Amino acid sequence: MNDYTEAEVQRALAEDLGVAEQGITVVRSDRGLVLCGEVESPRRREEILRLVRERFPGIACVADIGVTRAGAPTEAEELA
Amino acid sequence: MIRIAAVGDVHMDRDVLGRFRPALEELPDRADVLLLAGDLTRHGTEAEAKCVATEFGGLGVPVIAVLGNHDHHCDEVPGVVAALEDVGITVLEGDGTVVDVDGTRLGVAGVKGFGGGFAGRCASEFGEPEMKAFVRTTGTVAERLGAALRDLDCDVRVALTHYAPVPDTLAGEPLEIYPFLGSYLLAQAIDSAPTALALHGHAHHGSERGRTPGGVRVRNVAHPVIKQAYSVFTLAPDHVSAPTRSGI
Repeated sequence: MNDYTEAEVQRALAEDLGVAEQGITVVRSDRGLVLCGEVESPRRREEILRLVRERFPGIACVADIGVTRAGAPTEAEELA
Repeated sequence: MIRIAAVGDVHMDRDVLGRFRPALEELPDRADVLLLAGDLTRHGTEAEAKCVATEFGGLGVPVIAVLGNHDHHCDEVPGVVAALEDVGITVLEGDGTVVDVDGTRLGVAGVKGFGGGFAGRCASEFGEPEMKAFVRTTGTVAERLGAALRDLDCDVRVALTHYAPVPDTLAGEPLEIYPFLGSYLLAQAIDSAPTALALHGHAHHGSERGRTPGGVRVRNVAHPVIKQAYSVFTLAPDHVSAPTRSGI
């Protein structure tokens, strides 16, 4: 794994229509790739991992990807 | 008092239908209008836009949107816009709209915007045709935003974009990609009118608060930044921004 692989993974996440995620950070670690960021559903996190494992089968990959909370706000910001 | 709810980058598709709805059902009690700051879909298909329409339509308050770069990806913009307009969502691109809130006229002008970077570190309209076209695109949309803001006949003026007008709200993003996240030309357009608030999305790793050189408050409402279904901002009817120091 080198800089070019990192770039390929980043671009694949954005350009693959089944994923289309531009907000995922790809971090190289001693144990392989760590994917960080937030997505809108658990299914999208699974799609990301599946894509990377299929396209880059020799690379160990783990996801540290959260699902963005979508609750109602508890307070407003006053700008008066 | 005008209460503005806003969120961007919701990236709707069938798999997330209904996620926002519980919070949206409460929205009419919390806000007078909802602004959507682009990247409403995953990759800009009409089918995804219908998911946006299902999720954000029929709320009981006016919903005003701009599109984002994701909403352009599949070249189905007319279908995307039509799906949103079918449920009463107003889609802005270089124009504005005025909403009456208990007798106060809230004006919203919007564009998607584009990149180019920020003062002192920005791209220039120079060199290859591709480079000139890139910078010219941002200049053109910024001019349209400025004109739309200045043309609004209203009491309170809000600018809505997808791309960022200032670097403040990008803090947390890699510096190297700032030129792809926004342009100072958008801020210059916002400062050319007495704008009360500027809202944008696009920068998922950015931060919430910033200010234009002219003193207009800027808020990044990208969903991964605000980490809630929408943020709510309250503005006094007599609110005007600080005096502008630059304009187009």
